[in-house]
Amino acid sequence: MTKSKKSFDKLIVSLEERVRELNCMYEVEELLSRPDMTVNAALPEIVKLIPEGMQFPEITEARIQYRTRVYATEGFEEQEGMMTTPIMVNDKEVGDISVIYSEERPPAIHGPFLEEEKRLLETIANRLAYFIMYQKLKMVFSKWESAKEDITSKKQGEWQIVLELLQRTDPDLYIRISRKMLNHLIWTGVDEAERLLQAFSPAPQYQYSDVSGETNTPLTKQIFENSTKISREVFLMAERHLSNTEILSNIQKWMQQDKTAFLVRATSNNDSSLNDIVEALYKYYQIAPDGLQLMPSTRTGVRASLIRRFFSDQLEFINIAKNYVRVNDFYDLVRRVIFPTGSHGKLGGKSAGLFLARRILHRNLKDTPLEAMIKTPRTWHLSSDTLIHFMHFNNLEEILEQKYKSIEEIRQEYPHVVQLFKSSHFPPDIVNGLSVALDDFGERPLIVRSSSLLEDRLGSAFSGKYKSLFLTNQGSKQKRLEALMDAIAEVYASTIGPDPIEYRAERGLLDFHEEMGIMIQEVVGTRVGKYFLPSYAGVAFSNNEFRWSPRIRREDGLIRLVVGLGTRAVDRLADDYPILVAPGQPGLRTNVSITEIVRYSPQKADVLNLENGCFESVELRDLFREAGNDIPGIEQMVSIFEHNNIRKPMGINVDYTREDLVATFDGLISDSPVIKGLGTILRELQKALATPVDIEFASNGKELYLLQCRPQSYSKYDAPSPIPDNLDPGHILFSANRYISNGLVPEITHVVYVNPDKYNEISDLNRLKRVGKAVGKLNKVLPKRKFILMGPGRWGSRGDIKLGVSVTYSDINNTAVLIEIARKKGNYMPDLSFGTHFFQDLVEASIRYLPLYPDNEQVIFKEDFFSNSPNSLSKYLTDYADLDDVLRVIEIDKVFKGQVLKILMNADQEKAVAVVAPPRAANMEMLDANPLFNTDGSAHSVWRQQMAEQIAARLNPARFGVKDIYLAGSSAEKTAQPGSDIDLYIRFKGTDEQRRELESWLEGWSLCLDEINFRRTGFKSGRLLDIHFLKGEEDTSKMKKLLFAVQ
Amino acid sequence: MAADKSFNAFEMAQTQFDRVADMLGLDSGTRELLRNPLREYHFSIPVKMDDGSVKVFQGFRVQHNDARGPAKGGIRFHPQETINTVKALSMWMTWKTAVVELPLGGGKGGVICDPHNLSQNELEQICRGWVRQIAPNVGPLSDVPAPDIMTNGQHMIWMLDEYEKIHGGRYPGFITGKPVGMGGSLGRTEATGYGVIYTVREALKKLNLDVAKTSASVQGFGNVAQYAIKLYTEMGGKVVSVACWDQNDQTSYTYKKESGITYDELIKMTDRFGGIDPKKAQAAGYEQLDGDAWLSQDVDILIPAAIENQLTGDTAGNISGQVKVVAEGANGPTTPEADKILSERGIFVIPDFLANAGGVTCSYFEQVQSNMNFFWTLEEVITRLDERMTQSFLDVYELAQRRNLYMRDAAYMISISRVAEACKLRGWV
Repeated sequence: MTKSKKSFDKLIVSLEERVRELNCMYEVEELLSRPDMTVNAALPEIVKLIPEGMQFPEITEARIQYRTRVYATEGFEEQEGMMTTPIMVNDKEVGDISVIYSEERPPAIHGPFLEEEKRLLETIANRLAYFIMYQKLKMVFSKWESAKEDITSKKQGEWQIVLELLQRTDPDLYIRISRKMLNHLIWTGVDEAERLLQAFSPAPQYQYSDVSGETNTPLTKQIFENSTKISREVFLMAERHLSNTEILSNIQKWMQQDKTAFLVRATSNNDSSLNDIVEALYKYYQIAPDGLQLMPSTRTGVRASLIRRFFSDQLEFINIAKNYVRVNDFYDLVRRVIFPTGSHGKLGGKSAGLFLARRILHRNLKDTPLEAMIKTPRTWHLSSDTLIHFMHFNNLEEILEQKYKSIEEIRQEYPHVVQLFKSSHFPPDIVNGLSVALDDFGERPLIVRSSSLLEDRLGSAFSGKYKSLFLTNQGSKQKRLEALMDAIAEVYASTIGPDPIEYRAERGLLDFHEEMGIMIQEVVGTRVGKYFLPSYAGVAFSNNEFRWSPRIRREDGLIRLVVGLGTRAVDRLADDYPILVAPGQPGLRTNVSITEIVRYSPQKADVLNLENGCFESVELRDLFREAGNDIPGIEQMVSIFEHNNIRKPMGINVDYTREDLVATFDGLISDSPVIKGLGTILRELQKALATPVDIEFASNGKELYLLQCRPQSYSKYDAPSPIPDNLDPGHILFSANRYISNGLVPEITHVVYVNPDKYNEISDLNRLKRVGKAVGKLNKVLPKRKFILMGPGRWGSRGDIKLGVSVTYSDINNTAVLIEIARKKGNYMPDLSFGTHFFQDLVEASIRYLPLYPDNEQVIFKEDFFSNSPNSLSKYLTDYADLDDVLRVIEIDKVFKGQVLKILMNADQEKAVAVVAPPRAANMEMLDANPLFNTDGSAHSVWRQQMAEQIAARLNPARFGVKDIYLAGSSAEKTAQPGSDIDLYIRFKGTDEQRRELESWLEGWSLCLDEINFRRTGFKSGRLLDIHFLKGEEDTSKMKKLLFAVQ
Repeated sequence: MAADKSFNAFEMAQTQFDRVADMLGLDSGTRELLRNPLREYHFSIPVKMDDGSVKVFQGFRVQHNDARGPAKGGIRFHPQETINTVKALSMWMTWKTAVVELPLGGGKGGVICDPHNLSQNELEQICRGWVRQIAPNVGPLSDVPAPDIMTNGQHMIWMLDEYEKIHGGRYPGFITGKPVGMGGSLGRTEATGYGVIYTVREALKKLNLDVAKTSASVQGFGNVAQYAIKLYTEMGGKVVSVACWDQNDQTSYTYKKESGITYDELIKMTDRFGGIDPKKAQAAGYEQLDGDAWLSQDVDILIPAAIENQLTGDTAGNISGQVKVVAEGANGPTTPEADKILSERGIFVIPDFLANAGGVTCSYFEQVQSNMNFFWTLEEVITRLDERMTQSFLDVYELAQRRNLYMRDAAYMISISRVAEACKLRGWV
């Protein structure tokens, strides 16, 4: 009891001590950051503050000496046991701080002083040093500025004044600048400067002094004096050779460079840890809080280095980012980064994407109202190597090898791994960091997101494979901290979850050393009743792949909007619908009639329940009824449904808890700048990043928060499907070239075809309805998602059903593709529905829509196949034999033995084809994968083709005796994979000597291209070129002839 | 040509008319007049699109007959609207207003356009353009439009505003379907469902049944069904089961509670489309049955109030022997084959265009109130609706009794003969 009581008392005492130290530091900081504070005014104040931070303030006396000045508290006198800390400016001691206890106290670590007290003194000395340096610089510049003004009238000698000033205030800098001037003179070709250089070098004098055995101290002085003399000579020489303006501008440039050299050093050195860089950034910020400019070249260099260190080695990324990111942006960033000592980690793709997006928007939208509206939530980052640090700390290293196990094993062991991670401990330095972060956040709900190095990189999208976890972050600090660590551990565990591992294995990324950064982000929103939620949130894509009207262009973009957390917008929903808007055409709505608008309006919202700490989906109806009036911006989100009419709420006299509300976002879409703004954001980001992007956003009803930005991602089958050039026309059943969306439908076994002519001939209403009914029945019996529906005009017509087969969504919900055929009637082309009768159902279920215009030019439509292939209708439905001529069920296998139908859709090329091919054929395999991840045949082929053309262009045919050169194989056929080689066929007509020369010339290319390919894709094959020499009259008609450059 | 053989809605409407005309023994002149619309307007509506281009839309207005009063009928926005459909629908409006003895004729109109491809601004231009082109030929005293497919209260307000600009005054009676507070009438939501039950009540009286001792099964839980259930249970009847569409499962279910379903209880577990939440329903003690189960329940009354073609030759056989009345809340729920079976079994059918005429009656009330510029309370609207529906039912019932007709035929005959009479009285034929 007593023992624990004692240690408790001790703890209290030591805590009180820490508080005193902190207070003291805060007061010093406050003093020094007053705008007009000078060194002379600050020192007497600080000396009074120091005792407050010590263990026994009442008996502490302090003194600060600075150059010739001394400031001390009343009772200070030098004595034994005095603790002194030097004040270092530019590595030179300019003064010191000392403290004594006027009465005797028991001995501690440093005499009677504690380690903490010593550190306090050092911190103050350090802070003072920055301050002094900053003041000095400020003085130099202001004097220099006024000197410049003075002199502009005299026109001459202005730089001399600057120099004189410099010589007096900072002699070291004076010498460094004179040395640079000397170099400059030499470069500009001044001969006499060469001689001076010899004299400048202090080296021989050191040698001399060593030999003579003298001490170094007086010698420094000597060199100094000598140097000053030489320096003067340098400038005299400069005066003779250079113009005043040139001298002045050079001096200015070098002075600035000199003051910020440490930053360049820290960032460019690969060995410097994050900590070093952070310190350098702090120092730079102290010197130049309002952006004392680095020289443009240096600035870009520093930016690039910082980007590389914090975000990505990826050249494309650095190349873009360096133009938008400022050095001081990093100052703001690093204040919220947690990393282990000696860290060399990065912050990961998600952090990088968001950081860069924010900077791009800041710059490109400068001074627009939109810029003022866009925010990013407060975010803390954990560097990527924290994961390794965490695993080391808990001896979990062997888990890293988990990824090489079989996927079954991984899957089986995963729950165990998660538990292992969650029961592990975080290293103390990280816990401290997280604790500070929590103080910064307060009790705001948080989201812990992964920010993997693989995720969201330019040119790839590793979307949604890792976890994101919401925390309500309520309650005691300890409870919140534990919850936060628990969440981070769980996100960490997800790096070795079966899904991401499988995904990485498929893409050859398994060996990529996956480190994962963590973002801890404040959840945007407000408290509404017992819930916390953003008023609205969503995702936006710069390319619209789901166009519901032919007037919407792909570049009009797409926004999926929901009430509450954006989780409902990100995923396709089985039981609910987000609001879809094309920001380029906000007036064209997906739903028009009141019934449609209400049916396809969001019914639920994802929220955080602050009472039980859970993530929940609540009925909007209940949410509005309980707390509708508390949701900020609700007037822009809902419409009032009343007497079968729908209207936007107007005026202030609306009680949102009592009206029947439908989430339509009508106000937001038509009356607010948000939707147009999102369009602008997408456009600007796409322009700057040179790739289509998708972003996540949320709003608290006032501001718009950007949560994520990455290259537009595609799920496996939504990606633009490459369309090979060499498809056998005999195997193409139809093609299309208007209003194409992206996607791949890999295995269609049945085609349900409603013959447009025959359907049009039906005069009996009941017969027309019977067709719809039969389609509905086929939908139930045919293999799900393996059949397609093709029919005239508008599927789902009601009333005027001869315009299209009368079906409801449940009659077609198992089809893979819904195809509408528009046949010309005279010179009139009927409008198609674009699936509008159940558009949102199609979107959420990933059923593709394709319009066919068989009468257009340049498209294929095998009428004969569709009209005359054997009809299997009676095999599937017994009672509909009478519809045999109208409704046809074609089994692909019956017509093309052992084959299936594939539909390849590519919006980039505005092209789609349906082609018969063997199921899972080898050359089609690659079509299954995400094109952005190494498997896009077309991208790999294009690059290979370009390289082959380069080789041909640079090859001198006369020198090597080459007659023709051809490209063949996968590169020419646009089916290249990341590991494919480039097949070159060469018709050679030269000597053996020439042939050897040619081979070694090509060998160089081959090695070089392989290296480039490795960097692009991670595939290494040793040689990328496969050279074939044509012997006789081989058939080259299918090869691509490469043209020689004009010699 | 292939097109000649294809389905033609107008020809079908004419065939239907011819059949009743034969039964009525109409003279050829009247027949010829009623087989075709009196007037048909076709016009172009140029619209400046948001992108600066100009697009020309085709507009129609058909006034089938206005012998009994101003033509009445909706305006449809449909991408593949055809004049034949509009003509057919305008004829149907004539019969519908006549069966409930409203002093109105029949009309229909539309614009060929797909609102999915149009912004609000462009739609407004189409609405205003439509009125500009037809303004001299429509009006509160000659032809009164209303909302229809893909048009709503907002469109009606734009059209009204344009009409009033042209004529320099306030003419709220020009158009119906306006929002409440902007010349709309209360009771629109309730009208159709209540109307169904007024006719049911009268039918039960004629069959000597006490409402309070009857039970019913309803298909659908949309607007019509909801208010039908509400009023019927208020009268003391017991609703045993309700069938409705389940959007998630893409199928329909019947929810059954032997002790009786109440409107208040059910509405709490329903979305805006009458989709019932299966979990909540089961928790509240409802039995979840097949979607078709509603029509095989042992009840006295069946109310199909969802979609067409529900009682067919196949399903009519499943109807319980206890069923005495079928009230058609939906349009066309019974096929001709089923009609035959119902009639053979002596089940009393209240045909759709009588049973669900509450809607058009309320439109008429809106017009009346607008013309007076004096608006009734909900109670007043409902009371007048009751009177009108009751009287109309009795008229049809009496004719059916007197001439021993199937109710559906009686309803058609009464309305066509009313129109024919008006034409004759005016000396047109």
